[in-house]
Amino acid sequence: MESHDGAWSLKEVQKLEGHTDRVWSVAWNPAAGVAGVPAMLASCSGDKTVRVWEQNPSSSSWFCKAVLDETHTRTVRSCAWSPSGKLLATGSFDATTAIWENVGGDFECVSTLEGHENEVKSVCWNASGSLLATCGRDRSVWIWEVLPGNEFECASVLQGHTQDVKMVQWHPTMDILFSCSYDNTIKIWAEDGDDDWHCVQTLSEANGGHTSTVWALSFNTAGDKMVTCSDDLTIKVWETDSAKMMSGDGYVPWSHVCTLSGYHDRTIFSVHWSREGIIASGAADDAIRFFVESKDGSVDGPSYKMILRNEKAHDMDVNSVRWSHGENRFLASASDDGTVKIWELVPVI
Amino acid sequence: MRKGSSSTASPSNGREGKAPSDRSTDVRPEPADTSSDILDSSLDLEEAHFREGYSDGHRHGVAAGREEGRQVGLKTGFETGEEVGLYRGCVGVRGSAIRADPTRYSARVQKSVRTMEALLDGHPTTEPEDELVQEMVGDLRLKSRAVRASLGAKLENRGYLKGVDNEDVEF
Repeated sequence: MESHDGAWSLKEVQKLEGHTDRVWSVAWNPAAGVAGVPAMLASCSGDKTVRVWEQNPSSSSWFCKAVLDETHTRTVRSCAWSPSGKLLATGSFDATTAIWENVGGDFECVSTLEGHENEVKSVCWNASGSLLATCGRDRSVWIWEVLPGNEFECASVLQGHTQDVKMVQWHPTMDILFSCSYDNTIKIWAEDGDDDWHCVQTLSEANGGHTSTVWALSFNTAGDKMVTCSDDLTIKVWETDSAKMMSGDGYVPWSHVCTLSGYHDRTIFSVHWSREGIIASGAADDAIRFFVESKDGSVDGPSYKMILRNEKAHDMDVNSVRWSHGENRFLASASDDGTVKIWELVPVI
Repeated sequence: MRKGSSSTASPSNGREGKAPSDRSTDVRPEPADTSSDILDSSLDLEEAHFREGYSDGHRHGVAAGREEGRQVGLKTGFETGEEVGLYRGCVGVRGSAIRADPTRYSARVQKSVRTMEALLDGHPTTEPEDELVQEMVGDLRLKSRAVRASLGAKLENRGYLKGVDNEDVEF
């Protein structure tokens, strides 16, 4: 963090209440919050609904714009906006993924993707919005292609993980898919020609990886660094050679560069890397923590330091933390306590 | 003077007390000569029982193993046959639909159907334990799931097809 070496504080902007069960995930609409479009956020819950929240431009306060219900028959575990902000994908324990379209403020379920044999755990769109990835307890990762007319076709069913797959994330600039699992590994999937996807690398304990369930992963803006968090109480940072990656000369492997341990004493469920390079983490101890790269000129590779810990961010486990896309330092968090909170990270002068 | 009698035997009549045929002082019979001793049968009894027991067990084992193998083979064969048969049927129907109307399915679905056809044609029915064959069935399974998902088709009756949870689809 070039701009501020001093202390930071986390300001609670608003607490969004309404869900009647734990909130699993939040997602900021990438097309909102800019160019006069009011900021928009989706949250999904154990109460089988998805809530869309919007910020009132004049009062700056958030209200619940829509409740997407009567579609999923079980917990909605994950939600993700397409890059255009027009579609919202929601993955549920009922083994389906619903696709909702934002039609002038009203949300309509335009498609239901079936295929997983049991609970869907995560959904994610690629950078161009042409592909959607889903994963679940059936240990498989599915890649769907988005076709005109909100039609979806399954491009590939990927098997390789030996346990429940917790999260899928596309690389921010390339169509390479990352998945992390209860089997302690992170798998990287790439396409070798027409619909021919396969696992090109597995990051396991042997490569300096986690020793327990990997719950989440996130990339920095440039796409040459990745942060992962785990049940093993550590956060790990990985790197790839970005120059080689850009040259498009075949797959460039990722390697472990740093482990942040001793900061968490309960499972870390979520990590997210901001545009500026601040890593936020949400954990089972109800706290949110923030880390930045430490410019202490360490010879052994990069190192990170914790800049803030907000101990009682929620009354229960923090399941998800997400930075907003904008220029600001707004963060949304979702918790087992049934609430979503909007925060602002501010430097203390 | 009196002539003394000599106590040393003269060696003139050969070795004393030894008949030419009596070379050994060992009373045990030669191994081949088991019938010559009535005690032999008691030593052999243990070995005889062992041999009898072994051959009985072996005979029963072979019979039971064959029967069990038959059951397992029938079950596995049925399961594999049912699964591969399902794929053959689906591919047959979809292949016909495509030939009747080439615009019927998307390019991707058509390609998947063709790939499945090729896998099925290359699928031998005589080497069930060949790993490559099992891999082929695995590939068919994945392709089938992808095609079904793309078409929005559902399996009405799972039959014996194994799901991930290995039981009825029940959450």
